[in-house]
Amino acid sequence: MLRVENLTKVYPNGTVALKDVTFQVEDGEFLAVIGLSGSGKSTLLRCINRLIEPTSGKIFWDGIDVTAASPNEMRKIRRQMGFIFQQFNLVKRSNVITNVLTGRLGYVGSAQSLANLFSKHDHDLALKNLERLGLKEKAYVRADSLSGGQQQRVGIARALMQEPKLILADEPVASLDPVLSHSILKYLEQLNKEDGLTVLCSLHFLDLVHRYATRAIALKDGKLVFEGLPEAIDDAEFKAIYGQDAQRVSII
Amino acid sequence: MSAQTSNSRTTKNPLLAPLFSLIVPGAGQLYLGAREAGSAILVATVVLALLIQFTSEVLRIAVIETAFFKTSWLWFLLALFWLWNVFDAYRRARGLSASRVFGFAVPILIIYILAWQVTGVDFTRLVTRFDDVKYIFNALLHPDFFTRDTEQQSGWVTIQVPCSPTVPPPPPEYSGFPVRIDRACGTVGDPLTMTGEGFLPTTSGNVYWLEYDGTNEAQVRMNDAPVVITTDANGQFTSQFNIPSFAARDGLDPDNPVVQAVEARFVQEVGPPKPSENFHILIGSIAQEPAPAWMVNLGLVAPDATVPRIVPGGIWVTIALGLMATFISVAVAAPLSFLGARNIMARVRGGTVIYYVTRAIFNFVRSVDTLIWAIILVTWTGLGAFTGLLALSIHSIAAVAKLYSEEVEHIDEGPVEATTAAGGTTLQSVRFAVIPQIIPSFLAYSLLRWDINMRSATIVGFVSAAGIGFYIFEAIRKGGYQEYAAALWAIAIVVMIVDFVSSIWRERILHGERRAAATPQDLQAPPKPFYKTRRGILYTVIFIIVFIISWNLSEINLEKLLEPAPTLGSVIYDYITIDTSVEVWRAILRQILVTIFQALLATTLGAIVAIPFAFLAAKNITGRARGTAWIYYAARFVLNFLRSIEAFLYVAIFVFWVGVGAFAGMLALAVTTFGLIGKLFSEAVENIEEGPVEAVTATGANRLQTIAFAVLPQIVPPFISYSIYQWDINIRMATIIGFAGGGGIGLLFQNYVGQLQYHKAGAVILAIVVVVTIMDLASAKIRHRLV
Repeated sequence: MLRVENLTKVYPNGTVALKDVTFQVEDGEFLAVIGLSGSGKSTLLRCINRLIEPTSGKIFWDGIDVTAASPNEMRKIRRQMGFIFQQFNLVKRSNVITNVLTGRLGYVGSAQSLANLFSKHDHDLALKNLERLGLKEKAYVRADSLSGGQQQRVGIARALMQEPKLILADEPVASLDPVLSHSILKYLEQLNKEDGLTVLCSLHFLDLVHRYATRAIALKDGKLVFEGLPEAIDDAEFKAIYGQDAQRVSII
Repeated sequence: MSAQTSNSRTTKNPLLAPLFSLIVPGAGQLYLGAREAGSAILVATVVLALLIQFTSEVLRIAVIETAFFKTSWLWFLLALFWLWNVFDAYRRARGLSASRVFGFAVPILIIYILAWQVTGVDFTRLVTRFDDVKYIFNALLHPDFFTRDTEQQSGWVTIQVPCSPTVPPPPPEYSGFPVRIDRACGTVGDPLTMTGEGFLPTTSGNVYWLEYDGTNEAQVRMNDAPVVITTDANGQFTSQFNIPSFAARDGLDPDNPVVQAVEARFVQEVGPPKPSENFHILIGSIAQEPAPAWMVNLGLVAPDATVPRIVPGGIWVTIALGLMATFISVAVAAPLSFLGARNIMARVRGGTVIYYVTRAIFNFVRSVDTLIWAIILVTWTGLGAFTGLLALSIHSIAAVAKLYSEEVEHIDEGPVEATTAAGGTTLQSVRFAVIPQIIPSFLAYSLLRWDINMRSATIVGFVSAAGIGFYIFEAIRKGGYQEYAAALWAIAIVVMIVDFVSSIWRERILHGERRAAATPQDLQAPPKPFYKTRRGILYTVIFIIVFIISWNLSEINLEKLLEPAPTLGSVIYDYITIDTSVEVWRAILRQILVTIFQALLATTLGAIVAIPFAFLAAKNITGRARGTAWIYYAARFVLNFLRSIEAFLYVAIFVFWVGVGAFAGMLALAVTTFGLIGKLFSEAVENIEEGPVEAVTATGANRLQTIAFAVLPQIVPPFISYSIYQWDINIRMATIIGFAGGGGIGLLFQNYVGQLQYHKAGAVILAIVVVVTIMDLASAKIRHRLV
């Protein structure tokens, strides 16, 4: 269970990205985070695994205070939270399996991994995860020779290497075609439903939220403005979240 | 901008601005909110005033004297600038702008007038001394690489000096070709006819007068020129001359006449050309040596046999130094560069401090040229190739590390974020997210550095007394310009090859096609790591061999580092406790000005000459048509040749031509500049986008209009940008050109070191670092704005 309490983030330049945000994610949920660009969605997700240091507020993960964790504890917490990035964040020149194996770094000692010595178990796990995402035959090609959708699947495989309980997905489909969006989100749905992983996913398009999320929260200018079922977002709520001029659009 | 000015018109008094500018230049512009223009005008005025004051006071430049006062006429130009600034403030206050051309032109004019005077430019010397310098050009075209065997044909005949009844001792026994003279005796000045036969047909030779015992001889001359004898088709010759005064060497005593001899001598080159002595020194030779014990023990050779051994010449030492310095600097700089990368250090506690300190050290070390490092290091490790290597490496480490650091800073942060999110430590993030990204650019920079180190290695010998630099130094001192020419050719060839190989590899690393797609079967298994492939093993073996040879040739002796001269401590102390006296800094300021100005003039001169040449050397102008392709290749070769030789090595030519001093150094710099900038310019011309040319042509513009509106706008910014960049480079080179007689700060440094006044030398180094750093930052900033 993830609990975020009064989370506030102020950047050094004075920008208030998050203001007093409080919410809770139950195990097994698929929680969508919606809001305009710049509303604080990315900051929120990155504060949860402290890629960005929160200014104030607390985050509890399975009862442990993430904001107070030591670097060593943080390492253990992070490996329970797989992160999926909008820009995939692959090392383009490394081959696919090396990229996937980096998901295992939280488990291996520094000295061992610096020599690029991953265990047989890790290798097998990497191949298994790639197979699951339909990329087994691409294991030894360079990451930049893959298409965008394939690269994001590598990103998911990398997150799975952490054997996570929680997936934090930051706009995982914003850089992809609509068709590919569904294919990626279906993988996330599968992880959520079959493996029981909790998914916290920021999304741009409302119809994707309706289609995949079990619950949604909305941010506007860093503040939590909605929390509830996706179906509950009616026109009034929509205008409140996206502003008066916004129009509903749907993809496919 | 326009909104700003119209706004200021309503709130600010338009008459105040020119008034302010009249009192303090630029103040009016600042008052109107034009911060950049205002501060530029203020700084320009102050700097120009200081320059005019200093140069007229200390260097007596542009001084006019009347009965009442003595001043510089450049103040008049500065006053013009001042007036322009008032006018500009007035115009700005009205929401208009004054002519910027004038505002730029006057300061530039003042700068160039000063530069011209300070550098001692005197182009007439290039003309008046041209006849003398032909000798050097002739030598440059006839480098001393090869020689041919000579064969001599001679015949002599005796003659008694003077005529006398006394019988002289009997003549020595005769040998050689048959020659006759028409008299048996004579005295100085008597005419003589000499004939001979049986020689090679139609060849030329000389006549020699020999003493009886053959210990002394002299060439016979007539009318201040050697007597030349030429055989006809039958090998016969006839020649007339007078008995030379040399014949009187043994006295003209009729009571004691001597027998002397007249010899006709034909020397001819025969056989094929073979490497000259100079070739052996420069390139290498094969010596026969007693076989080493291990070969004898293995039964490969007989115990007393000799085996050939290659004795490498100076150029190989230079090549080895360039390679070794590159290996060392890459190995040291790669880890250091992370300390100078802001993004990495931000993740470490106290890292920002380390970042600034590291960057400051990099900057300091690379501002000081290799040659200056060599002078400093000689007090530690003595003369020799090893000192040269250390100097090259130190400079190169800092230069490479700075580039590496910037490359680390420019990586894609995404993968770092991803490894961190997975629970990776900083070290793991570096290993898996940073290093894979930077390998190609690190390799490319290393190759570029190899090219630069190769060039520096050709001159480091001037100080460290090893390699080809030292050889050139010696050749010039002895006046051996054919040897000097041979060295220049050897350097040009080596550097051109290195330049070519390095650029091809860089291109392949950065933009090369990826290997052909592997077959599906290959993809099932991990590919063999590179070091296990056949190619990998081959490269590794080659690398090891090259490394060992280079190691030996650069005379690496780590023990020397631990056994410095006992005075080293006090020398370092002297360097650090720099001299702060006014007269020293006045001398430094003076020479720094010379250095900056000679670099400026060299860049200008080189760039002006390069502009027309750049079009000839551009593939899209001359390279495509069959009739003009030769122009393209010829122009390319000239540029490549000239830029492959460091300006430092050209100084000798210009010292001979126009005399020691800043002017000679300026001309030498201009030659290399021409080569370097000509190449950059021609590439800029080649990179012209065809789109705008097409578009302008489509509007019905004629050819001239097309050039003016579609071509020039595309090439002027890069031309200016490259010129400023080149000025930056030239200042670095100008700091050392004084060692070779080219004037400027280098000479001052060398003098102070020579007088063991290291605290003064330390002050010179500080001044160089400051100037080079400022130029570096300013040039980067200006270029950034241009692009």
